[in-house]
Amino acid sequence: MKDAAIALHDVSLTLGEGASAVKVLDSVSLEVAAGEAVGIVGPSGSGKSTLLMVLAGLERIDSGTIRIAGQSLVGKSEDWIASFRGRNIGIVFQSFHLIPNMTALENVAVPLELAGHADPFGLAAAELSAVGLAGRLTHYPGELSGGEQQRVAIARALAPAPHILIADEPTGNLDQATGAQVADLLFAKAAERGTTLVLVTHDPALAARCGRQVAMRSGRIVEDAAPARLASA
Amino acid sequence: MSPFRSFRLAVRFALREMRGGLSGFFVFLACIALGVAAIGGVNSVARSIAAGVADQGQVLLGGDMRFELNQREATPQERVFLSGLGLVSESAGMRSMARLPDGSDQALVELKAVDGAYPLYGALETDPALPKVALFASRDGVFGAAAQDLLLERLGLKLGDRLKLGDAEYELRARIVSEPDSLSDGFGFAPRLMVSLDGLKASGLVQPGSLVEHVYKLRLPVATSDAGIEAAKQSAAEQFPEAGWSVRTRAAAAPALSANIERFSQFLTLVGLTALVVGGVGVANAVRAYLDGKRAVIATFKSLGASGGFVFAVYLTQILLIAGMAIVAGLALGALMPFAADRALRSLVPLPAEGGIYPGALALAALFGLLVTLAFAILPLGRARDVAAAALFREAGFESRGLPGLRYLAGAAAIALALAALAVLTAEDRRLATIFVVAALSSFVVLRVVAFVVQWLARRAPRIRSTVLRLAVGNIHRPGALTASVVLSLGLGLTLLVTLAQIDGNLRREISGSLSERAPNFFFVDIQGAEVDAFSALIAREAPQGVLAKVPMLRGRIMALNGVPAEKAKVAADGAWVLRGDRGLTYDAQKPANATLTQGTWWPADYAGEPLVSFSAEEGEALGLKLGDTVTVNVLGRNVTAKVANFRQVQWETMGINFVMVFSPNTFAGAPHAWLATLADKASTTADDARLLNAVTRAFPTVTAVRVKDALDVVNRLIGQLGTAIRAAAAVALVSSVLVLAGALAAGNRARIRDAVVLKTLGATRRTLMAAFALEYALLGLATAVFALAAGSAAAWFVTARVMKLPAHVEPEVALATLVAALIVTVGVGLAGTWRVLGHKAAPVLREL
Repeated sequence: MKDAAIALHDVSLTLGEGASAVKVLDSVSLEVAAGEAVGIVGPSGSGKSTLLMVLAGLERIDSGTIRIAGQSLVGKSEDWIASFRGRNIGIVFQSFHLIPNMTALENVAVPLELAGHADPFGLAAAELSAVGLAGRLTHYPGELSGGEQQRVAIARALAPAPHILIADEPTGNLDQATGAQVADLLFAKAAERGTTLVLVTHDPALAARCGRQVAMRSGRIVEDAAPARLASA
Repeated sequence: MSPFRSFRLAVRFALREMRGGLSGFFVFLACIALGVAAIGGVNSVARSIAAGVADQGQVLLGGDMRFELNQREATPQERVFLSGLGLVSESAGMRSMARLPDGSDQALVELKAVDGAYPLYGALETDPALPKVALFASRDGVFGAAAQDLLLERLGLKLGDRLKLGDAEYELRARIVSEPDSLSDGFGFAPRLMVSLDGLKASGLVQPGSLVEHVYKLRLPVATSDAGIEAAKQSAAEQFPEAGWSVRTRAAAAPALSANIERFSQFLTLVGLTALVVGGVGVANAVRAYLDGKRAVIATFKSLGASGGFVFAVYLTQILLIAGMAIVAGLALGALMPFAADRALRSLVPLPAEGGIYPGALALAALFGLLVTLAFAILPLGRARDVAAAALFREAGFESRGLPGLRYLAGAAAIALALAALAVLTAEDRRLATIFVVAALSSFVVLRVVAFVVQWLARRAPRIRSTVLRLAVGNIHRPGALTASVVLSLGLGLTLLVTLAQIDGNLRREISGSLSERAPNFFFVDIQGAEVDAFSALIAREAPQGVLAKVPMLRGRIMALNGVPAEKAKVAADGAWVLRGDRGLTYDAQKPANATLTQGTWWPADYAGEPLVSFSAEEGEALGLKLGDTVTVNVLGRNVTAKVANFRQVQWETMGINFVMVFSPNTFAGAPHAWLATLADKASTTADDARLLNAVTRAFPTVTAVRVKDALDVVNRLIGQLGTAIRAAAAVALVSSVLVLAGALAAGNRARIRDAVVLKTLGATRRTLMAAFALEYALLGLATAVFALAAGSAAAWFVTARVMKLPAHVEPEVALATLVAALIVTVGVGLAGTWRVLGHKAAPVLREL
């Protein structure tokens, strides 16, 4: 695929040593076009989280190639990858992982400040307004509800205008109603900006909203199709 | 992003992160502040005293220059020379026996006779305030005197009463409140009695060979610079090469005092540094605990694009900001100490201290504080830098394993080395400072090994029936146990205290115990030659069981070794004292009974050749002398050169008659001198001593008697005061240890809460858990106490036996006190926190598990 947002080819990764070594990714190949929304599904231990870490540059592969937004991550230093990640990859976590001693505005501004943006707080305020939190700029995470915290996290992930948005169980810690709202926001914003979305979830309904689902088992991709085809498989 | 912008951003992030408050940093703040305050305070006080001595040099010295002659007055030519320099004030000083007119009692006094010009600087304060003429002049044939309160109390006198000195009677007209130049006159055993020079003459105490110091103080023209004073000193040496006078200037008014203050402050600085280093363990614990709690935040920063270096910079900035607060607090306390010391010291000794801020001393303390912070914070910061952002995706958590990266280990080592270098380079005695640094570093390593051994023993303990004991022993070796924290934090402070207490105990035992048993009962000085036989007969009558030893005695100073002037001679540090000031000298045709020759031979009884000298072996070695070398001494204004004929073993600790130099009799033929005697009578009681003293003073009013037990009491008291001051300083290190221990135990409470909740769920009662925790702390306290006793006693043995060359014992009270203190501290501090742990509700904890 030309100019793929994500291009993994024959990626393998083993964690642990000796008798406790486990091949968590086994010859995984995956290409995701820019703007696509991909759901990664599979049982616990199938390698979903590891795949996300590899995509985010947080785990180094043992073999194969990986290109994100046209850049190879193989052979790059930790600091280079961190800087690349800050500008090109947004991450939304299940547990939100907001910085507790920073306000909502400051949390969203962090990746912008790290990237050396000229007006990090102006842009951060705009992002928070876009997710409906204009009135919560000066609130600390402890003063926000779960849903509000996840919205701040989404705003933080989208603020640097990344090519890729990675979401790890984004509604896992939220009640159904709030989770649905957050999911709506996530998909809407990703589509609005043409951001490639890679989503790991145990929620079939959430997975079904993705245009494509990748099923993993024992470190391998066992199925890669549109949701309807997977459902009927 | 440029490094500068990155740094600015790191500072911004650090300040935001500090919004969470400083909880968890109390121990960090307290330890650094305490250590910095101790070092800054001690050094500031030392510099304030040095500044006081320097600024008040003229007052302390009693002049711009001070010429001292022993056993003779200045010749007319010397007087003309001195008068040509400036205004001269003459005084004379000696020890003597003041007695009641009826002879019923007597007391040793430090007698000082002054002239009309005294004092040239400062003021003699008396009560009532009287002009000198009224104070000292003869009225109806009776001279006046002023005395310190101690003498009035000792003899039961009041103002207006009379006392006798030698052949004359004096009227006590005033109490001495303050004597401006007392410090420059040296250390005195006895209270001061002041009379006029005419009054001294009337007493008949000054006889040929009497141990009198004749002092000539000069007030030079106002514009005379220090360079001008040095030139005058040089001129005195050139014009009167054999005068044998000891010359001091206002620039070094009290050199012995200054040297002792410097030595003492260096020691206290090292103790303060120990407190700071112990506090460093608290810093490491606090930083580690803080950063452990920040792992998720650090991982989040990394996931958002922060590099490891940036994360390191953020938290290093935070740590430095907190350390800065602690250092400022410590400096504020340290800066106040000269003002407090000025007030406190003035009531004890007339030490001049200029209250003020001493930036150099404070800067040094701040630098020590900064280096200790960095040395102990680098490793936990390095671990934090390497937190994997990937852990945010995992359920495994953020536990770090293994050692931090090599560059952090190297960084910590480099900073520790810089700290050690600073401690050594800023010390007056670098050898001592190096020993301290090596000992401190070794202690850390050894304590770590001790903790490991304790855990190893606990792991290998046989199956224990008692649940409480089994829980306690299990807690000692399980992962995350507090063993290393307890042993490390308490061990160093306790070891230091044990070392100092043992040394102090041994010193006091020597002085008040075996030394006083070995020492003679009395020293008698200024026995005139014509009185020797009558004196011996009186002693034989009054103390028939006593053993009287008598030797002729002169005073002189070493002017040259092998022709090289003494001030230019290169000698070992432990021999320098021999060349400083006057020494007692004697001569003997026979080898002294208590002398063992190590080299050479004694001269024949009828020897009449060139002057020969027998030199003390240890001091001779320190001065680099060998058989056949020459020693030039100045006695009574004449230089005499003698050849070293032998070296002799001298046992100074017996306090018998011992001299560094014993000359052949022909050396001082014709020189006026008095005799020195000692009386040893083990069977005598205090009443016998008092009776003997009275008899000698009545019969020989010009003979000065020093009761050795009284002198030892004075020394003991001084050592006691010094010992208290030293132990107070060491207590700072122990306070630091306790703080660190409390911090370490508090940090361990999170795991304790979890364990306690689970155990309670499984049926353990609070009583069982309390007993288990108490036993665990007691075992750890016991292990630490045993180590501290062993290490402290070993260190004390080394200092006592090898450095001080005294018999060394383990003081049982110190051993017991150490054990008790360690147990109280560990169990007390430990249980204080555990009580809170056991009261924790189970449900919230169980939900998190």
